[in-house]
Amino acid sequence: MEYDVIIVGAGPAGYVAAIRAGQVGLKTAVVEKMYMGGMCLNWGCIPTKALLESAKMFEKVKHADEFGIDGIFEHNVTFNWGKAKARSKRITGKLSTGVSYLLKKNGVEIITGTARIGSDHSVYVDDKKISAKNIIIATGSKPKAMEKSLSNAPVIEMEKLFTLETIPDNIVVTGNHVSAVEMAQFFKLIGKKVTLIANSDYFMAGLDDYLISNLIKKLKSDDIDLILNAYPDKFENKELHVGELKIKCDLLVNLNSRKAIIPESEIPLELTERGFIKTSDNFETSLKGVYAIGDVSGKSFVAHVASAQGIFIINTLKGIKSTFDSTSYPINIYTLPEIAQIGMTEQHIKEAGIEYKINEFPLSANGKAMIEGNTEGFIRMISDKKYGQVLGIQIVAANATDMIAEAGAFMNLEATVYDVAKTIHAHPTISEIYMEAGFEAFDKAIHL
Amino acid sequence: MRYIFNFPDIGEGLEEGTILEWYVVKGQTIKAGQALVNMETDKIVTDIPSPKAGTIVAIYGSVGETIRVGSPLVEIEIEGVFGADAVAETKVTEKVEPVEEEEGAGVVGTMELAGKNAYLAASDEGSSKPKTEDKPVAKVQATPLARAMARDMNVDINRIIGSGPSGRVTKEDIEKYKPSQGSQKVIGKTDINQQPVSPDSVTYEPISQIRKAIAKNMLNSKQNTAHMTLFEEVEISGLMSIREKIKTAIAEKNIKLTYLSFIVKAVVLTLKSHRQLNSQIDLENDRMIYKNRFNIGIAVDTPEGLVVPVIKDADHLSIIQIAQKITELSEKARDRKLSLDDMKEGTFTITNYGSIGGIYATPVINYPQAGILGVGRIVKKPVVKENQVVAGNVLPLSLSVDHRIVDGGEASRFINQIMEYLSDPVLMMIE
Repeated sequence: MEYDVIIVGAGPAGYVAAIRAGQVGLKTAVVEKMYMGGMCLNWGCIPTKALLESAKMFEKVKHADEFGIDGIFEHNVTFNWGKAKARSKRITGKLSTGVSYLLKKNGVEIITGTARIGSDHSVYVDDKKISAKNIIIATGSKPKAMEKSLSNAPVIEMEKLFTLETIPDNIVVTGNHVSAVEMAQFFKLIGKKVTLIANSDYFMAGLDDYLISNLIKKLKSDDIDLILNAYPDKFENKELHVGELKIKCDLLVNLNSRKAIIPESEIPLELTERGFIKTSDNFETSLKGVYAIGDVSGKSFVAHVASAQGIFIINTLKGIKSTFDSTSYPINIYTLPEIAQIGMTEQHIKEAGIEYKINEFPLSANGKAMIEGNTEGFIRMISDKKYGQVLGIQIVAANATDMIAEAGAFMNLEATVYDVAKTIHAHPTISEIYMEAGFEAFDKAIHL
Repeated sequence: MRYIFNFPDIGEGLEEGTILEWYVVKGQTIKAGQALVNMETDKIVTDIPSPKAGTIVAIYGSVGETIRVGSPLVEIEIEGVFGADAVAETKVTEKVEPVEEEEGAGVVGTMELAGKNAYLAASDEGSSKPKTEDKPVAKVQATPLARAMARDMNVDINRIIGSGPSGRVTKEDIEKYKPSQGSQKVIGKTDINQQPVSPDSVTYEPISQIRKAIAKNMLNSKQNTAHMTLFEEVEISGLMSIREKIKTAIAEKNIKLTYLSFIVKAVVLTLKSHRQLNSQIDLENDRMIYKNRFNIGIAVDTPEGLVVPVIKDADHLSIIQIAQKITELSEKARDRKLSLDDMKEGTFTITNYGSIGGIYATPVINYPQAGILGVGRIVKKPVVKENQVVAGNVLPLSLSVDHRIVDGGEASRFINQIMEYLSDPVLMMIE
């Protein structure tokens, strides 16, 4: 065998697994067709958040006057798509180089090309055969293609967005999950007319119903046309037909639910009903010694879980005791304000028959939120009644995606509401809302 | 002065031990002989007493951690010893086994269970009656939820070694903990017979000290001796009726008179005239070592693994006394209360797998001893007595000897004599 492990795909599942493999002394090769860092780094997590940050800045400077800054008026600020895009590219460029550097530093061989699985021990990269004791498939996913009836529509996928010179005025986004909502809001923030079509009946599945209804209200108040559970039929005269509705559409952004990118394989890999690579709890595919992690296994579609899977699988191969708990990872939505959730939702808890309570604390009663001018939001803490174990935390706040990390630690350490209340939070911080919700859970919040 | 107390070698060949519980905390004043820590070593769980009086200034190692002999356990600030005296003191303690320095510092025989009544509340707010402890207790790592659950379920959390990072006790550990396991300390998930069904093809778990010792000893024996095993059957109807008679006679004494007691007696009597079987070979010094004491090891199956307590000077004991000793030692073994003394100095071993159901085996010699007798299950079989086929009660025996020491003829003569004693037990009474 030439390698201990060959990893196919250098996205957040593959490249993290490769670095870890190098760290523990496995002879490792990673095969990547085009993009170091995968979708996450090149047109997913990082660049879209960079764009959103520009859009949020655009929104914020319009209110400069309120903060005591003269000379900036809503009518004289404009959004420069080219510059925002360039900034985003600078960031991804830096990070992508960083990934290559880390791979090399840890002795991982990077092979550029398209991989085809030869057997449980071999991979062809553009017809050159390489062999390894174990193979990890981390080829990711892509959005389902739009219906054929829409072939004449101006459809783009995220990868293409970054090649556009200008953004037209009438945008339609199709999709059901985080990225669709984020991009809809992005286009809205930079002043476009936006319609979001959730072309399934599981809009934002996995999110607490309370957060979903909150989000729907927010999208409406942002003046984004949200059409739930509808499917565009055809495109005619620059208009998208959705049932009776005709929506003006210069750009149709495809952020549909995702489908796996299955690598070619001499021995067919068993797939799930939904078309993802079927894996055991241990991420092993139907081929012994061949594993699939990240989006391609369909178990989760977020980068941080994919990376955690990558570390887990390498530890397991190396015989390092490791556990993979996929139940308490944060779901982050980088909207304005941000939305973050971790742990069980109220619906899950009800189904599980656990006696629970929910305690909320609004940002409107938090000093730092007022200082920052971001009082829109709340914390919602779900705990079990018997021991006070923190079962789930949901935050809507400008910086919710960072704040949720604290909840992750609470969950991981099996903390109770008493521990949350007892943890002294600095004043003034938005994180004080944790403490308040903690107090509220077994006694009374101080500042309410 | 500061005195570093290293983990002492408390037994022959002991290399390391695992910390089960700390009895002391940093800053605590201690007396010489006071128990510092509860450790699991090769075959025992024991308290390690402090050789010095003073104040604990540092504690090395946390619960679940393995400490090698000679590595620091605690640092003690000893009051009133300065300068040259301090240096001298350090030297002395380094030379002499520290545990034997001051009285009351007996290492073994104090194997109490860890953490009696010891627990710490996680979140006092949640409990109506906060409890206090007289004795400061080293805080076992546990999640707040696990503490709340333990308190609610009245489980002593210090008895559980967690499966979380750094041995942290988690909700899952509390849920899995079965108080009915009574005196046994639950160590992670080591009860292999109660493995949860796992979808993984393998599960990795650390090896217990006992398992390490067994593995080492077994391999040592197989690699360093020339094993030879012979099998015999002995008809013991006579022994059975005698045992019944004695049992009736001593009924009120509450003594468990097993066949094993008779077998021990028979072996001891036979060893007296077969000294090759009660010896060991010392090739390095070109000599034989004949043992003049007759200390019979009895292999005992425990949930943690095999242990071999020793009946010392069995030749001075009556069958009844042997029976009492066996009961005492097996109870200690099952409660993990055996001291190293209880397991030292065996000269010959008996393994009674018949009590579990086996008939024949090729027992592995308890190295460096010369032999081991395996005792199988008594089976009813046709035997020929005075030219008649009758139903006999047959006891199967398997004797392994170190062929370097014991020749085939000697082994046969040895087992023949044991069989004579067992088929005609009156002979044992006369001796």
